Amino acid sequence: MAKELRQIAIYGKGGIGKSTTTQNLTAALAENGKKVLVVGCDPKADSTRLILGGLAQRTVLDTLRDEGEDIDLSNIMKRGYRKVRCVESGGPEPGAGCAGRGIITSIGLLERLGAYTKDLDYVFYDVLGDVVCGGFAMPIREGKAKEIYIVASGEMMSLYAANNIAKGIQRYAKQGGVRLGGVICNSRNVDREPELLRAFAKELGTHLIHFIPRDNIVQHAEIKRKTVIEYKPDAEQAAEYRTLAKNIEQNKKFVIPKPMTPDRLEEILLEFGLLDELEDYAI
Amino acid sequence: MSKVDLSLSEVQVRELRLGSITGFQGSAQELVSASRCGLRDKNRSFSQCLGCSTGNAACMVTLIRDAAVISHGPVGCSSCLHEFAFTYRVNAPLRNLDRPTQRKIYSTNLDEGDTVYGSDQKLASAIREVNERATPNAIFVLTTCAVGIIGDDVESVTEEAEAELGIPVVPIFCEGFKSKVWTTGFDAGYHAIARKIIKQPRERRTDVVNVINFWGSDIFTEWLEPFGAKPNFITPYATVDSLAYSSEAAATIQACPTLGSYLAAALEQEFGVPEIKTASPYGIPQTDRWFRALGKMLGKPDVAETLIAQKKKEYIPQIEALREKLTGRTAYVTAGAGHGHALLAVLAELGVAAKGAAVFHHDPLYDNGSEDSDALAQRVRDYGDVPNINVCNKQEFELVNQLSRIRPDFMLARHGGMTLWGAKLGIPSLLIGDEHFGMGYEGIVRYGERIIETIENDEFVKNLEKHAINPYTKWWLAQEPFTFMEGAEIWQAS
Repeated sequence: MAKELRQIAIYGKGGIGKSTTTQNLTAALAENGKKVLVVGCDPKADSTRLILGGLAQRTVLDTLRDEGEDIDLSNIMKRGYRKVRCVESGGPEPGAGCAGRGIITSIGLLERLGAYTKDLDYVFYDVLGDVVCGGFAMPIREGKAKEIYIVASGEMMSLYAANNIAKGIQRYAKQGGVRLGGVICNSRNVDREPELLRAFAKELGTHLIHFIPRDNIVQHAEIKRKTVIEYKPDAEQAAEYRTLAKNIEQNKKFVIPKPMTPDRLEEILLEFGLLDELEDYAI
Repeated sequence: MSKVDLSLSEVQVRELRLGSITGFQGSAQELVSASRCGLRDKNRSFSQCLGCSTGNAACMVTLIRDAAVISHGPVGCSSCLHEFAFTYRVNAPLRNLDRPTQRKIYSTNLDEGDTVYGSDQKLASAIREVNERATPNAIFVLTTCAVGIIGDDVESVTEEAEAELGIPVVPIFCEGFKSKVWTTGFDAGYHAIARKIIKQPRERRTDVVNVINFWGSDIFTEWLEPFGAKPNFITPYATVDSLAYSSEAAATIQACPTLGSYLAAALEQEFGVPEIKTASPYGIPQTDRWFRALGKMLGKPDVAETLIAQKKKEYIPQIEALREKLTGRTAYVTAGAGHGHALLAVLAELGVAAKGAAVFHHDPLYDNGSEDSDALAQRVRDYGDVPNINVCNKQEFELVNQLSRIRPDFMLARHGGMTLWGAKLGIPSLLIGDEHFGMGYEGIVRYGERIIETIENDEFVKNLEKHAINPYTKWWLAQEPFTFMEGAEIWQAS
């Protein structure tokens, strides 16, 4: 039976934990026998460090610059934990060139070199914080990722960013087949976070696909250049990522998001983002 | 592995797909040998003019009778496209087209604001507007550097427009910065046509043969008639419908293998139309081979033999007479890759010694991967080597330097603007744009007659030489012609 390749893009505010979440998620899928390709679309090129056990990988754009366009897939794609395939798009030096164009070039090259093989179950695109220009929308264009998950926490700026991303998705969703699959909460331990995220997701027309609690073991694993799945397979946090993987595997709810106005977003924050019984405390 | 992949929106550039180059100097034999074992391009530290892929892509879609073309970019990117309107009009009689209609060429005229805010909306409106004004049967959208760099989603806009308007709206990704081999633009145009215009065949026809060509005279109707077939010309003077069903033809032939390389391969691979891989019929032995390949493909080898015999009987004596007059003469050729090689064969038939050629690029092999399509290799095999082959993308400074050293008896060119360099040096120069003019046995006769006429009427160029001002300094003309060509490295077979 022919497998259907699911191409998934993960968006979210910078620093929210997209790369950590994506890598733990893909490790959980790989553990379950799935064939996965992770494409890092962030010029910082740190989307595959935990899967590969270090930042050893040369980025597509560095390779192109040093060796020219006549390159093989093996020059840019490495296999890490449980044979998860990893590619880092990379980008120009900060302040130079055009990182968006870099992503277009990288993804075009991956297609041409045949990185999207028939045996793959999943391709994940881990994309820079905001969809700032046409290049950063490349992973969700026609024929590429059809599912998007937004990583967010209960912090206000993270929800602002998530709402903005939803606007971008809405634009592409109206034109083509791309849909929002849900919101992943990467907890920052803010007040009433699960309720807030559930309400936020509902307002967007989607659902909270999983709430990942905050746990220091993630930090420990990262220092060891590992996903939690690999570092401590028995840890509770590893089970959380497995649940996330399972929920995504079984997800059937794909929607065109309904981004909200800034006023409506603040209303939700006021409604869910405060614990009534607690006053601001001073140190 | 085939290099045709219609699932991708963009065609791979020629440098990577075929290993094509734009810098080389050496003999024809050296170029042919190097092409079989890793030909390396030579860069120039100084370069004059270069073409842009967008022009070559436009060249293959602007002359489709019932289509409209939108150049999606700053208006300057379309500043040369009116030339195709001229070509369409003046060559219409060659294709029995009494009333050539106005060409429909537009630009989205992108400005600073569009590069900041994105140009998708502007393109969507332009497509609607063009559909209303021109009511075409298809709209082609040529991309440009500006749109490519800002990463606008041209594919989605055209798909949406196609659904809305009910006619093919076809994006052609031909941004100039991607390739320095401008014939990549042909491939981009054909890739788009193969993806979006050509339909799966309803039937297989034995009486139609695809002819991928420019806008030359129609010799094919007469040639194919004894085989019980007629030509389906691609793409100049075709209609959207005739292109759509080019998938039903019995075979595909090409006037110029560097032009039709990609489309012929795509028609064979994706639609089952076999390509005649034998290089185009220029020179006697190659014409023999070509007619035989055609006869074989159409299942009528006897017809081919009869035709060859008849034509040879008629034309060989004429060729011999011309050869007597021209033997010992010398010539220099400048043309695009496929046609330049063809002219070198025609010259050899006429007894003329080719002293060199400036050819605009070189493809080691074409998309079909067949050595039979390599016209330069055939030329060397049939008639011997040619010295001073310069692969140069219209680097006129190299051309003038070489011409002033070689001083041939005459010069042949296929592109406007090239013969003036011969003329200024007092060298009789003949420009023939019609690439079918030299085809077949009769083509050798036609060329021979025009060459004699050109040599005999040299008064004008001799006078011009006395008064012409050469823009190049004496210093430059005293330098080696390839002073600015670097990385002169060819991998020889060991």
